[in-house]
Amino acid sequence: MTASDPVAARADDVWKVYGSGEAEVIALRGVSVTFQRGVFTAIMGPSGSGKSTLMHCLAGLDSVTRGEVRIGETTVTGLGDAGLTRLRRDKVGFIFQQFNLLPTLSAKENILLPLAIAGRKPDDAWFDTVIRTVGLQDRLEHRPAQLSGGQQQRVACARALVARPEVIFADEPTGNLDSRSGADVLGFLRDSVRQHGQTIVMVTHDPVAASYADRVIFLADGAVVDELHDPSPDMVLDRMKKLDAPAEVER
Amino acid sequence: MLLLALRTFRDRWPVFVGAIVTVCLGVALVQSSLLTLVSAATAKVPPGLSAAEARATGDGYAAAITLLGMTLGLAFFVAIFVVSSTFAFTVAQRRRDLALLRMTGAGRGQVRTLLVGEALLLGIIGSALGIALGLPVMRLQGTMLTTFELAPPGFTGEWRSWIVYVSAGTGIGVAVLGVLTASRRASRVRPLEALRDLGGAARVMTASRWVIGLIFLAGSIALLILVPAVGGEAALPLSINATFTLVTAFALFAPLVVPVVAAPFGALFRGRLGVLAHANLRNGVRRSASTAAPIMVLVAFVVGMAGMTGTMSEAGRLETVRDLRADLVLDTPGSALDRVVGAPGVTAVSEEAPVSFDIAETGDPDGLEWESTSGIAVDPAAYAVTHRVAPTAGDVADLRGATIALTPSAASGFRVGDLVPVRLAGGPASLRVVALLPDTLVGPAALLPADLMPDGPRRYVVRTSDPAAAGAALAGVGQVSTTAQFIAEANSEQQKISTNIMVALLGMAMVYTVIAMINAVVIAASDRRAEFAAARVTGLTRGQVVAAALAESLAVVAIGVLLGAVSAIGTIFGMASAVRDMVGVGVVTVPWSMIGAVVVLATVVVGLTSVLTSLSATRTPAIRLVAARD
Ligand SMILES: Nc1ncnc2c1ncn2[C@@H]1O[C@H](COP(=O)(O)OP(=O)(O)OP(=O)(O)O)[C@@H](O)[C@H]1O
Ligand SMILES: [Mg+2]
Repeated sequence: MTASDPVAARADDVWKVYGSGEAEVIALRGVSVTFQRGVFTAIMGPSGSGKSTLMHCLAGLDSVTRGEVRIGETTVTGLGDAGLTRLRRDKVGFIFQQFNLLPTLSAKENILLPLAIAGRKPDDAWFDTVIRTVGLQDRLEHRPAQLSGGQQQRVACARALVARPEVIFADEPTGNLDSRSGADVLGFLRDSVRQHGQTIVMVTHDPVAASYADRVIFLADGAVVDELHDPSPDMVLDRMKKLDAPAEVER
Repeated sequence: MLLLALRTFRDRWPVFVGAIVTVCLGVALVQSSLLTLVSAATAKVPPGLSAAEARATGDGYAAAITLLGMTLGLAFFVAIFVVSSTFAFTVAQRRRDLALLRMTGAGRGQVRTLLVGEALLLGIIGSALGIALGLPVMRLQGTMLTTFELAPPGFTGEWRSWIVYVSAGTGIGVAVLGVLTASRRASRVRPLEALRDLGGAARVMTASRWVIGLIFLAGSIALLILVPAVGGEAALPLSINATFTLVTAFALFAPLVVPVVAAPFGALFRGRLGVLAHANLRNGVRRSASTAAPIMVLVAFVVGMAGMTGTMSEAGRLETVRDLRADLVLDTPGSALDRVVGAPGVTAVSEEAPVSFDIAETGDPDGLEWESTSGIAVDPAAYAVTHRVAPTAGDVADLRGATIALTPSAASGFRVGDLVPVRLAGGPASLRVVALLPDTLVGPAALLPADLMPDGPRRYVVRTSDPAAAGAALAGVGQVSTTAQFIAEANSEQQKISTNIMVALLGMAMVYTVIAMINAVVIAASDRRAEFAAARVTGLTRGQVVAAALAESLAVVAIGVLLGAVSAIGTIFGMASAVRDMVGVGVVTVPWSMIGAVVVLATVVVGLTSVLTSLSATRTPAIRLVAARD
């Protein structure tokens, strides 16, 4: 990666088809989208519009049917298992709605897991910064079951941030949280973008959550249909209503 | 990664304790059988015994060695089977965790290293405990053998220091082997599976599972075809081998059977519970198959052995019924021919004296291999009147002087007119074959002429026109019984021996499978707290959740019993056709009472364990668990 390259991730005419014959579902139909480095992007759209699918394809968790995906300078499409493993280890981080922590490890161990797997030494100063940002100083030795949902999600955020990946993909990270915890999580996701130049792509249903982002992409029926910059919740809500309306009429 | 392994240990201890228990017991069983076998093989006949006693002791050891060889084979098989299915299961259970590891950047190699490392650790701990446990188990095995008179009195297994390496190698090797294929599969887990269930359970029947299953099935069929061909003493061990391969084949195919059995269960338990139990069975194919595995082994071996020995002893009884043409049988400590002949109504008497001797398997005088044989010395004319005699070659009437009539179980490869080298106390060094007799289950293996009759116990087989009077007259001479009584006694004696052999052979291995059953249920339940909690949150009472789990486990018992019984019946039929080829008696004994006993045992053990574990898994209020998911 070169600092001059402003693109952290991009999808080029990406199609994703699940199943075949009767059971065929076209989840993505020719999605082309670019994610700039150091930008917080939200992806919105009705349920089933292909948000999660797009994210999985971007992150190399799922293969694309047609088109090409790149993360930084790496062409994800066509990578073998070893290449994808390296990609996940070195270039991307994940935060999911289900917090996806290893139940057997403490918060601290969960946070350091990606580094341990990669055999990298944690940068102590950065670790402290991350922990302070997410406010987990006195919860490090607890295990996931002993933490609240919001705390667990903060652990997941810290885990993604501490490895300083090229891109962090977050799928409805606040979907399970109350507005207060959600605001906390969103706050430091935004801070990590503003202060540390982290790139984040976040799927969300919540207009308020989307308003934390620098840019919102709207997906409907597997295609990008709209885009907003520096959104406010009202603007987002407005666009969402427009998106939902035609669908309602069709039904 | 090491830390992860240790932490996983801490948290999933029921699973790992289960795995350690299976390794430990498996090692103890194998070690004890091996030490006992080696001790029997190297046992010296104590000096100062009479020739006959020394021969009896030597024969006792020879029989014990055969039995222990089978026990060892069985111990090995059951240990490998139980340990590998347990380990494969523990890996399958952690699919989600492993997917998450892959998501955070772990490579396939790292996942595999983690799992193999774990297996290594479990293998070491299990082996260490197993080596210690092996000592009391060996003592128990020795006691069992002498109590059942399957080994000479005073026999005990002895400790050898080299066994430590064998046991450690076995335990660690079996654990690692067991996890190897599972880890290969686990390393293929897709990271996305941490997020969604991609229906991994549906693909339990992989191509390699099919291929290996079919190979084992084909091998079993080949063995079962071979059983009648080899016949004789090799039939039983070969049938047991066929049981090994059949059980393995059916274990591999178990996932196919799960839905088949699940369907009627769904119909049986209608309503919400039935639906739930049915869905759980279908989705937990791997879990169901793993829990069914030890049940299958138990049923296959217990029912198979009972059926095989039952078939043999029933065939033996029918053989005697067919061949014995007399009214009374009299056993005396010494010769009493005159008194027997003088008894009322006697028309024919065959005097028979047991003779133990060695016979050379090969005619080659340099490399003689002596085989201990027991025959009887008879007067051929009287014998032919009181017994059905149907030689396949030669004529029994020629039994005079230094001659012998042979069955294939005494020695094969000789023809009429050949000289057979023998070691016979006070007799010639070789005997000329005058007749070849058909194979027999009840003996004798050879007939010798009256000239070679030693002093000592006699049996008189008597035909008389007045059995009651003759019986009364002979009662003072020795132990007299009517033919019917004699056959019944011999049969019940044979059955007692069969039962003893079965207990000695299978006892420990079967205790092992019962523990493995409990183990499998506990391991399976340890993973299901969240699932149970979800069921309760959706409105099931605790009792209903426990009932659904019970229904599910009963279906699993049904699967295990079904597959085990099919394997057993395969081997029983193999044995029956071997018996028919040997002695021309067609009979199949299905041990219904044994099947019933095993079914009850498995149902009670699995059902009880299932209820207890699901009760304990639902002890925590459901909502706490749902909230703490992940
Ligand atoms: N593994 C799969 N097999 C078949 N179809 C799938 C699979 N995964 C997703 N789909 C289908 O693809 C479409 C897009 O799914 P996706 O999960 O991307 O939606 P989404 O926008 O994330 O919805 P939500 O907001 O509800 O999470 C849906 O119609 C879904 O049913
Ligand atoms: Mg989604």
